[in-house]
Amino acid sequence: MLKGLKEGKLWSILFNGYGLLFLTFLYMPLGLIVLYSFNSNPINMAVWTGFTLDWYATIFGGASVEGTFDAAFTESPERIFEVVKNSFLVAIFAASISTIIGTATAVALARYKFAGKRFYQALLILPMLVPDIVLGIALLIFFVGAGFELSLLTIIIGHVTFLSSYVFIVVSTRMAGMDTTLEQASADLGAGPLTTFWRVTLPQIMPGVIGGFLLGFIISLDDVVITYFIAGVGSQTLPLFILAMMRRGLRPQITALAVLILIFSFVVATIGLLLRNRKP
Amino acid sequence: MVFLQIASVHKAYATPEGALVRALDDVTINVKNNEFLTLLGPSGCGKTTLLKCLAGFEDMDGGDIILEGKSLRSVPAHHRPLNTVFQNYALFPHMTVAQNIGYGLDVAGVKKPERDRRVGEALEMVGLEGFGGRRPAQLSGGQQQRVALARSLILKPRILLLDEPLSALDRKMRESMQIELKNLQHTVGITFIFVTHDQEEALAMSDRIAVFNHGRLQQIGNSTEIYDTPANDFVANFVGTSNLFAGKVIARNNGLLIVETANGRKLVGTGDRFAIGDSVKLVLRPEHLRITGPDEPASDHAISGTITDAVFVGSVVRVHVDVGFGRTAILHQKYDRRGLGSALNPGTAVTIVYSPEAAHIIPEGA
Ligand SMILES: Nc1ncnc2c1ncn2[C@@H]1O[C@H](COP(=O)(O)OP(=O)(O)OP(=O)(O)O)[C@@H](O)[C@H]1O
Ligand SMILES: [Mg+2]
Repeated sequence: MLKGLKEGKLWSILFNGYGLLFLTFLYMPLGLIVLYSFNSNPINMAVWTGFTLDWYATIFGGASVEGTFDAAFTESPERIFEVVKNSFLVAIFAASISTIIGTATAVALARYKFAGKRFYQALLILPMLVPDIVLGIALLIFFVGAGFELSLLTIIIGHVTFLSSYVFIVVSTRMAGMDTTLEQASADLGAGPLTTFWRVTLPQIMPGVIGGFLLGFIISLDDVVITYFIAGVGSQTLPLFILAMMRRGLRPQITALAVLILIFSFVVATIGLLLRNRKP
Repeated sequence: MVFLQIASVHKAYATPEGALVRALDDVTINVKNNEFLTLLGPSGCGKTTLLKCLAGFEDMDGGDIILEGKSLRSVPAHHRPLNTVFQNYALFPHMTVAQNIGYGLDVAGVKKPERDRRVGEALEMVGLEGFGGRRPAQLSGGQQQRVALARSLILKPRILLLDEPLSALDRKMRESMQIELKNLQHTVGITFIFVTHDQEEALAMSDRIAVFNHGRLQQIGNSTEIYDTPANDFVANFVGTSNLFAGKVIARNNGLLIVETANGRKLVGTGDRFAIGDSVKLVLRPEHLRITGPDEPASDHAISGTITDAVFVGSVVRVHVDVGFGRTAILHQKYDRRGLGSALNPGTAVTIVYSPEAAHIIPEGA
């Protein structure tokens, strides 16, 4: 009896220990990068020499690195602002366009019967399964072949091609869970198809639409592989920019930048989750 | 002119196995203006399908629906002058009660002050003053049902379609809503087409009842016609309880027919559409049968048998009597508070009598 109890306790300790280890494994790297971003040691960030906000300050232009060791490795706030702006422009446009396309397709596929519907559904999911590198090369070939000059526009178009699939899947789930009699009731009360869509269908699937948009936004924001192929010289995005910075070594400024991206993604993901859990 | 003609409507669904379900098979009904028509039938008999065809949510395979001489075939749902109260109410969850009720007026372009006034009236009509700001999820089933009613009635439709609107309510609530609905229909003067699978509800509320089975209209008539003179086996069994005795017509005598059953018993009943030699069935309702002692003289409206069972069910005692040739008759005996008494003990030999007019005759196997 006593032995059994002890054994149970042992198991519970083991389980908790395992859980703790797993979480440490997951979050340790993130914790480290946050820690490093506040370390004042400019040479070796693994050695703690004191707390500083300088690295963040360099991003926003609040501190000068003139004459220090890091001067050669630090990007100017103007340059950072430019690539961040590029990234956001791409993410906002790509996510918005994808949201419209993905939502329209999800609604059409859920509500209308037509020949080849299943085939079309499968086709829509395919871009998500194609390896990024293949999609990147394919898009490059397409853009070059079609005579496009690589720019922010080509990045947006490229992102839309696969983000639409993500939005489509998120919104489709929502459509499948929606009560079709609501739309019939709307028609019954005299609303035409368009009014019914705006006033009944869309509000019902809104959490899915917003969730799809946020998902698309985040994916677009940190996409490297595909963007790498279709970005022009003057159209660098933040992830590509960081990648370029990395070639000169992992500098403290990069860790600060990474932490800022992390916080931003975390906020967006939280909004997404909150909306997703909201009752229809 | 007929108000609403449902003219040989056909509708079949393909099942995933490739078979065809005839949900509506040649259904013809002439609906009168301002009547309370009930569609009655078991689950899956096509009631909802007929409402969907009327409302325009479903295309017909054949036939037509003609409202005051105009075919509705090519009129889309949102242009039809009928409104539906859905089986699950289908209230818009993201709108308040007032927004739900005002939705139809809003899409029709009625301005806000006018709309608010009429929504207020509608809320009052269904007894939900002060509930306008709530969400549907914050209402009870009965209240939601009233909102659904108000949402449809505010548009003053020519016809209101109601798909089992009371099925989600408890018995007490259902009975009070039956009366309210019936009164409401009187006050607003709108044609109601009401679906139910509850025969008591149908009998209580309807001007006329259309009984369905397997997508076919079995009989249409007012409550007493349906109950007293069912057209066939199905109606006789579905509406109320019936004792059926099969036999052949052997004699006719001013409207009364003598039917000889398989074991040679001769029974009398009423029916005028039959000739001598026709195979028929005699329909006897439990409340029309009366038990007398075994010394009752043999006649064409007396059946002898043995009690097998007597069950007290509240207002009456339901007695099962074995009348030979493998048949049991069910009859209702008035309960008089002196207990069941030994007169109803199983095994007691009795004679059942009925008055000849109470026995309705239907065709065999119809
Ligand atoms: N969309 C559909 N696809 C295939 N079969 C259908 C479809 N809708 C209805 N049916 C079939 O048609 C028949 C009639 O259905 P309907 O919904 O009209 O029945 P009902 O009389 O309203 O039944 P209940 O009382 O259960 O609501 C049923 O056999 C049903 O299975
Ligand atoms: Mg139904």
